[in-house]
Amino acid sequence: MHDARAGRMARRKLSAKDHAVTYADAEPSAFASMLGGLIEANVEGSAAKRKDFRSLAARVGIWVTDIDEGVTLDFDKGSLVVHNGLEPRRDLTIRAEAETVMSLSNLKIGPFGMPVYFDHVGRGVAAKLVRGKLRIEGLLGNLATLNTVTRIFSVQ
Amino acid sequence: MAVKAFTDDWARLFKDEVNSSSVYKSAAKGWKWTVGLVVEAEPDKNFPEARGVVMDLFDGSARDITVGSAGEAQKCDFVITAPYSRWKQVATKELDATKGMLQGKLKLKGDLPTIVRYTKASQEMTECTTRVPVEWPDES
Repeated sequence: MHDARAGRMARRKLSAKDHAVTYADAEPSAFASMLGGLIEANVEGSAAKRKDFRSLAARVGIWVTDIDEGVTLDFDKGSLVVHNGLEPRRDLTIRAEAETVMSLSNLKIGPFGMPVYFDHVGRGVAAKLVRGKLRIEGLLGNLATLNTVTRIFSVQ
Repeated sequence: MAVKAFTDDWARLFKDEVNSSSVYKSAAKGWKWTVGLVVEAEPDKNFPEARGVVMDLFDGSARDITVGSAGEAQKCDFVITAPYSRWKQVATKELDATKGMLQGKLKLKGDLPTIVRYTKASQEMTECTTRVPVEWPDES
């Protein structure tokens, strides 16, 4: 098993020390590179997202059901290690189709840093949740973590 | 009437499709960057030389779409690269472009938050390519 904190893995340093995004695998998958790159760009471009990034310590899995690929995002208060595939001991796991994963990145953030679920994109995401097309495992006790991850993901 | 893939005639019809799409017009509002599509050569598919599609897109419309060299397309703000047969899969709806990018079948270069913000516009752009009647070089 890969342990993000063990320091035994091949890592590729991609950004400044205060918000480093690194990859656990010598050859990150396209999905891992895309998600890591997206988070890195978001964090570099927004002081609010940097603050969230520095406060977040959680292991989050994302599985894209229609391409059978996923990643594990190991957030550790200002650093992120992106793993190809799902690693054990995840706090949260999001399972959805590619289009829904992209929609999650397009959720607007409203008052008090809460994702907006009443506009067009938000209603679409909520509907997928109700229909079981978007599944979030580990939500109980991790709602604040989910909101923080959503804010870091969001490009809006 | 079908046109040869990735030629000037194809570019003209593609531009017409983009400009007649109300979905694209609305989803791409605010977009102000050029997009280059690099179609890599596949000699065994009767597509011997790489070509580049340069799209000058602005605020929901296509100001110009031209076909030239791969090098010209690589100078655009956003560049998507794939071999000829992958583009054919996209244009014939065998491959969803979003999934293709997540799987690394289509390689994207450019600012990720911007492209993710315009996911709907890029999906509609893909839809537009599927509406252009094409004569594929490996089928002729």
